[in-house]
Amino acid sequence: MRRLCGILTLSLASSLALAAPGVALKTENMLSKPSATSAAVGKMSKGMAVDIVAKQGGWLQVKAGKTQGWVRLLSVRAGAGGSGSNGLAGVAGVAGAVTQKSDPSRVVAVAGVRGLNEEDLKGAKFNAEELSRLEGYAVSASQAKAFADKSGLKAAKIKALPKPDAASGGETP
Amino acid sequence: MKKTFSVLALMLGMYAANSAAFDLGKILQLPEENKKQKTEQPAQQPAEQSSSASPLMLLGKTSVEDEVRIGRQVAGDLLGAAPLVKDDTLQRYVNTVGRWVAAQSNRKELNWHFGVIESEDINAFAAPGGYVFLTKGLYRRLNNEAELAGVLAHEIAHVSKKHHLEVLKKSAMIGALSQSVSKEIKSGDQAVQNLIGNGAEMLARGLDKEAEFEADRVGVVFAARSGYDPWGLPTVLQDMAAINTQDNRLALLYKTHPTASDRLARLGEAVGDRFDSLPTGKEFPDRFYRIK
Repeated sequence: MRRLCGILTLSLASSLALAAPGVALKTENMLSKPSATSAAVGKMSKGMAVDIVAKQGGWLQVKAGKTQGWVRLLSVRAGAGGSGSNGLAGVAGVAGAVTQKSDPSRVVAVAGVRGLNEEDLKGAKFNAEELSRLEGYAVSASQAKAFADKSGLKAAKIKALPKPDAASGGETP
Repeated sequence: MKKTFSVLALMLGMYAANSAAFDLGKILQLPEENKKQKTEQPAQQPAEQSSSASPLMLLGKTSVEDEVRIGRQVAGDLLGAAPLVKDDTLQRYVNTVGRWVAAQSNRKELNWHFGVIESEDINAFAAPGGYVFLTKGLYRRLNNEAELAGVLAHEIAHVSKKHHLEVLKKSAMIGALSQSVSKEIKSGDQAVQNLIGNGAEMLARGLDKEAEFEADRVGVVFAARSGYDPWGLPTVLQDMAAINTQDNRLALLYKTHPTASDRLARLGEAVGDRFDSLPTGKEFPDRFYRIK
């Protein structure tokens, strides 16, 4: 797996605003179009480093080696590195560019705002005033329905997903 | 964790064998001075709450009223660590989107509450009874309403599956059996505080991995049922996967959740081709409210 990562050069073409490194989470056919019925143009193997080129719905266009094709969004994870626990500083920052468009303020330090660590939570004191503010923002079911109707959001009947067989081995160790 | 449970199992076994002498209700009853304290702090009591505590609230089947009392305490504690972002439009928007998604869950009758809290951390929280929070740090990373719906749907799923309530039941029983019910006077719902300790601390401990994977599976379905693009939550997980795992803003998230990579892989197994025939959901990148 390490060797595979090494073979692929992580060159980010500046013309491709979306190009970002990723890693294949499973072995899967790469397709010519973002549709399950389109033709296979190649295959990516689990653990392989890929370049994420574009996203459309539940599909990612990726470059794996010399092949470029579409794979399912959940079959790749963004970020460089061989597993989920060793993201590389620097490269990860480049990868983040894929989804950080909406975040112009993140380079601005916000004075006086604390992080939220374990100690903060353990030492937290009940805040009745803030709780009352929170409850003041409540939206009723009928208000939410009116909002959905106005914007064309329709409730759809969709079956629950089954729990996958834990032994099927899709997770990285 | 495992050890604690086996100890508990042992203790329960012991008590079961001696059930005549086992009066858990008595152990969990409020000390008199705490009852008095409660009435002296009417501002901090939920209006709908009955004056007497139901000492068995965490045992067996918890009533919705008791579940909400517990959630309210956890929410108040969390808000003590990080207050709401002072932006009425934002808070109202998040409540509207959240309430619509929650209406597609199995618990649409709850009075759901959603809040964006003042923290640059990247995280989200749920408490029993319908209390859901996300940090400003996470909100700022979102690109459209479908992603917001996806994040809220994951938390709504925790409430719908009563994940935190189950954890609290276990820990509260351990506390009760060791007779360590706190007599210290604190603000908030004293009866609940006595049972669960600091509610926010529960959020710092987190749930087990399987509960998180389940909330991802249930969450994407809730978002899809609401008419949103179901790929909102997976896209947020991709964004997290791309951030260096050593980033401080993710420290608590990764202490309490599996890695984004594992969550994507596990969700991928569950989804497979099942969403291939779904109608295209909505994303609303333009009307998505952005924090000034």
